[in-house]
Amino acid sequence: MLSIEELLKRHGYSIMSSGTEYTINVLDSMRDSLTSIESYKDFYRVYRSIVDRVSRERPACAQATNVLRDIGLLIVDGVENKLSIRDICSSVSERIGYWKDRIVRDCEEAAHIASHRLVDGDVVLTHSRSLCVLKAIKKARDDGKKLEFYVTESRPGMEGLVTASEISKLGYPVKLVIDSAVRFFMKDVDKVLVGAEAVAVNGAVVSKVGTSLISLIAHEARVRVFVIAPISKFNLETLFGELVELPESDWRKLMSPDILAKLPENYLARVPLYDVTPPSYIDGIATEKGLFAPQAIPVILKDVYGSWPPAVIDLDELVYKLYELTKGV
Amino acid sequence: MEVPRRVLEIADGIRSMRIRGAGRIARSVAEALKIAALEYSGPGDERSFRRYMAYVADLLISTRPTAVSLPNAVYYVMYRLLTSSGDVEELRDTVVRVADEFIVESIEAVRRIGEIGARRIKNGSVILTHCHSTAAVSVIVTAYRMGKIVRVYSTETRPFYQGRITMRHLLEAGVPAVQIPDSAVRYVMHEVDHVIVGADTVASNGAVVNKIGTSQVALAAHEARVRVFVAAETYKFSPATVIGELVPIEFRPLEEVVPREWVEANPGVEVLNPSFDVTPPEYIDAIITEKGVIPPQAAILVLMDRFGWALSWMEHGVISFREIVK
Repeated sequence: MLSIEELLKRHGYSIMSSGTEYTINVLDSMRDSLTSIESYKDFYRVYRSIVDRVSRERPACAQATNVLRDIGLLIVDGVENKLSIRDICSSVSERIGYWKDRIVRDCEEAAHIASHRLVDGDVVLTHSRSLCVLKAIKKARDDGKKLEFYVTESRPGMEGLVTASEISKLGYPVKLVIDSAVRFFMKDVDKVLVGAEAVAVNGAVVSKVGTSLISLIAHEARVRVFVIAPISKFNLETLFGELVELPESDWRKLMSPDILAKLPENYLARVPLYDVTPPSYIDGIATEKGLFAPQAIPVILKDVYGSWPPAVIDLDELVYKLYELTKGV
Repeated sequence: MEVPRRVLEIADGIRSMRIRGAGRIARSVAEALKIAALEYSGPGDERSFRRYMAYVADLLISTRPTAVSLPNAVYYVMYRLLTSSGDVEELRDTVVRVADEFIVESIEAVRRIGEIGARRIKNGSVILTHCHSTAAVSVIVTAYRMGKIVRVYSTETRPFYQGRITMRHLLEAGVPAVQIPDSAVRYVMHEVDHVIVGADTVASNGAVVNKIGTSQVALAAHEARVRVFVAAETYKFSPATVIGELVPIEFRPLEEVVPREWVEANPGVEVLNPSFDVTPPEYIDAIITEKGVIPPQAAILVLMDRFGWALSWMEHGVISFREIVK
């Protein structure tokens, strides 16, 4: 007999970590690879491989990009000032520790702010799986709020099943529905609460594919949409006109090979993983600094970075700089 | 009342969704009435035959609540039986003839809809379709053969993946088709020129009841100013809605969405599986029927024309044939 997981795999079940979990994972592997550093050149090798990995695996994940930028600047600075390899490693390691704490703390604080928007009797719809959303729900539970949830299956990947399970374990009633049933149930919903992979500077939110459709449906039904996104998820490159690169997958995210074998030979699937929700469909973005309108992001960035526009160096540029600095050494 | 085994098999097939799709259901029902008439083995008087046919008709109507093609197919055949006179032999011939006529007409309707609908497609179009609709596929394939279509997006259509059936039909006809998950509809909508979907039921105000997800596809199209066409044979128009009845939306078993084992492991999660949703007429640009293109708000025209006779016999939206023949 097949296990639950095997049964689900026939439907393309594959769990993708949330953006926050992914960034923590990237930081952990960065820290692990520090032990292998024996020369300045190794900094370039290690740093480049991790930048490449992120752009391959999660090109839209702004948090991983932002954190890598900060660490890259630290390495460049160390190499430029000819600090010892040991000193650079230890300051990088310290910075990794700082980011890991901060990411979790920011996520929690943003989640707490978002949870204030949930009131007794609310029916909340969520999509995909977000660590920040789960923390917000947990906070609401700890505050004794009476809530009910709709969770979408969230294809491709079906991580909505995990979310539904996790929310029900917090003691809340959960209704699991397919992605196509969102408009059917929207009239019963009071609020939509989702996480983000990235937030563009105009307030557009990059999130799991389907989020923009749900937000449109909520907008039609005059249901409020809240996004939880710590400021480290803001994509700074978009400030200079860069578009967020949205990765796509194929049939592998929809079914197992034995199911594909039963379909026509020239079966073709296009499987986007993220989509962009325009700011006009979002009522508020909850960050660790507070909840505000998506269009207010430049104001917040100025406040956080101390200037407008904030100085942003592109990751590829940083990698190249490190290459130049270490090539002769 | 003894009902032939093959008739019961068809009823069961409709209930279990082995026979699905409004057109196939309608034709299977006509076929079932024909079989019932041919295999009638009761008393030789015409009253007994009428009562037997009424019993079979009511049984077939009870198998699926939402699909209107089912009662409409029954009405089509039974109306002619009720208004005919003669002995059992003659009545049986009438049922067989009318059932065959319905089946032929319904297949012909798909071809006509394909021709009419294809004229509405402009050159170089990208089409998006949801679920599997024989009528919608007919429009797409016809337009493709006219050289008008460059690509078709077909949604998977959870939980049953009818989109895979659409893919098979389109690919067999050589149409360049690409499957997308249901959640990606808004993502691709900016590339799309026309949405073409089928219908399970068209209500008297022009609202279209179709596979769950259709209404959000139409909403996403409306947002992007993409035209939405519904391909629907006239036997999908619901006479019951004329007298104010709501179209019941069927909730199907949760095992269609997730394995039973998952449900058992997650007792705090309720799985809801509605099969259909309602697309309001303002998101639909036209309904393409075999009789011509109509704006959805003119659905009443088709209804009065085709099913006006049925309204006087209707109680609570259904006709009980057993009551009529009593």
